Amino acid sequence: MSKLPPSPARRALLGLGALAGLALAAAAPAQAQRAQPCIGASWELTGPLAHSGFALRVAVETALAEINAAGGVLGQQLRLVAYDDVGEPARAVDNARRIGERDNCVVMLGGFRTPNAIALREPLDEMGLPWVGVISAGTQVVEHPNGRNQWMFRVSMKDRWVAPFLVTAARARSRSGKIGLMYEGTGWGQGAVPDVTAAMRAVDTPIAATETFNIADTDMTAQLIRMRDAGVDTIIFYGVDREAANVVRSMDRIGYRPQIVSAWGIGVQFAQTAGPLAEGVIVAGTYTWMGQLPERAQGVLARMQQRFPEIRTPGDLLMPSGTANAYDAVYIIAEALKLAGRFDRTAFRDAMFRVNYQGIVANYAPAFERTQERMDAILPASYRLLAFHNGALMPIEQTPFGTPRTN
Amino acid sequence: MEALLQYLLTGLSAGAIYSMIALGFYVMWSAAKAVNFTFGDVFMLGGVLTVVLREMGLPLPMAAAAAILIAALSGAVIERVFVRPFNREANAIGWMLTTIAVGTMMESFTTATYGPLGRAMPTPLVEQPVRIGGAGIYLQELLLPVVLVAMTLALEAFYRRTVLGRAMRAVAYNRVAAGLVGIDADRITMLAFALAGGIGALAGFLVAPIVQASSSMGVVVGLKGFLVAIIAGIANAPGVVITGLMYGVLEKFVEAYLSTAARDAIGFTVMILVLLLYPQGIFGRREVQKV
Repeated sequence: MSKLPPSPARRALLGLGALAGLALAAAAPAQAQRAQPCIGASWELTGPLAHSGFALRVAVETALAEINAAGGVLGQQLRLVAYDDVGEPARAVDNARRIGERDNCVVMLGGFRTPNAIALREPLDEMGLPWVGVISAGTQVVEHPNGRNQWMFRVSMKDRWVAPFLVTAARARSRSGKIGLMYEGTGWGQGAVPDVTAAMRAVDTPIAATETFNIADTDMTAQLIRMRDAGVDTIIFYGVDREAANVVRSMDRIGYRPQIVSAWGIGVQFAQTAGPLAEGVIVAGTYTWMGQLPERAQGVLARMQQRFPEIRTPGDLLMPSGTANAYDAVYIIAEALKLAGRFDRTAFRDAMFRVNYQGIVANYAPAFERTQERMDAILPASYRLLAFHNGALMPIEQTPFGTPRTN
Repeated sequence: MEALLQYLLTGLSAGAIYSMIALGFYVMWSAAKAVNFTFGDVFMLGGVLTVVLREMGLPLPMAAAAAILIAALSGAVIERVFVRPFNREANAIGWMLTTIAVGTMMESFTTATYGPLGRAMPTPLVEQPVRIGGAGIYLQELLLPVVLVAMTLALEAFYRRTVLGRAMRAVAYNRVAAGLVGIDADRITMLAFALAGGIGALAGFLVAPIVQASSSMGVVVGLKGFLVAIIAGIANAPGVVITGLMYGVLEKFVEAYLSTAARDAIGFTVMILVLLLYPQGIFGRREVQKV
């Protein structure tokens, strides 16, 4: 059977078809860059850290409701797609894959735990999915060892910046100049040791005593006796609510009352369990919803309470700094999307460096810069000292503990 | 000297809790040759339920009594549903898996409903520490060894002087022979698990004012209570009590003079060494089988 040579018209049609195929193939990656107007999230929504997931959901849903009520972004309503990771890194990675590949969200929000955020570094890089952390303060979340962080931003504190802040506050309050360090035996607590040591060395002050404790420890008497015997009158503390309550109870047991200056692992729950023993404990943070609030923040609090009736008082916001950070982060994301002009992850990432925004925590001017160190939006100048007074976590200037000790 | 006394007092207090948990294991093991592996969750019920019932308006003694009763009932249910069906044959080990599973369920349910965070249980006994020879301790902590001694004596009297207690001893000694003389061994075993549940919940209630009542409060304590029971020889009540107290004091001295971080590692190493030297436990007796 002989084959007929193709006619000129048929040749032209075949050529056009091939060209169209090539054009479609070339267009496919560009199409994949287009993302959905949704903000994904991997949070601790159940399990022992469920309160942290709730603290973030409250802020993000309230901010999104405000933004959408004002017309949304680029003519579209922004959605929240939140998944539970129960605080487990492996689940956080699964959730990021879902958010990046199936839901195709334009950006993802992080949750409480630093190990989860660190586990996301490679998957986010592979997918080209921007991520904004709002609590996890580990330095290496944003400052990657390979120096090539492109996708992970943070609107929260950074451990490397927190340490000098705590040291300054501790030195201002220590009469004897003998400052001790007490930390939980986790990655977070142990990671703080070199930071605090460097910050103390920078001001030419040795750490008078260093003590650690385990998660779920109930009695820290032995460590505190050693601190007392070393003459420590001010303790820089890295731990969370439950163990902090057990520390102050152990202090009460042996009649030892040093000043505690704590990283922000301590929240409102500490006062609820420690009772009067919490009085005067100082905590670094970015925000508190207690005490006298600026007018704008009062409005935000009222809208959060309206949306979540379980928040009867500001004391029910158990992670006040995290809630405020998350609220600002959503607005920064919305501003970046407006600057990007389309729902495209790369354009969004590039636009994040052009955002200027006045938030409730800080004035972000600009929010980020193109160095790893400045992919953190909240600078140390915006860190605040908070203090427990009458069971509430207040701005320190609104408590009797605002004045540093005079030697 | 003051520091030594401090470590001794806080060690006795912590050890009393381990002993109470270990006594619960002893009661269960004696009756069934099986235990609720996640007994720490029954201990947790004592603290958490007391807090919840108090928040519902019950006075503390009633809330505690109700919590202990509920925990005792849960102990009975665990035996009937999760132990007995899986412990019918010699050398059966299915009950290990089922009790671990039910403990996980209890903890998850408590976390979901009660919340993940601890809650305070204020009592007058934790308002001010008392000073003894310069060392400080709360009355609530001093109460723990006192209750432990009273509980041990009461348990001994119960086993020796009551019909039910004697029936439990008979079942523990020889289950088949006990059945032949008309003792319902299954029922007795269920009651033993209920008794253990009550003991665990009482311990949880007593310690909650010191450490906060939370869904995870029984995890570590339950494990250490089991460890104490094994080191002591699980079938010897006085041995279990003494070992628990010694273990609590040992922990405090390790924290004070060796390492806080290595406390548990050292504790578990001691357990392994003791078991190498005394495979039946320090106070355990080798079981002799007549042929």
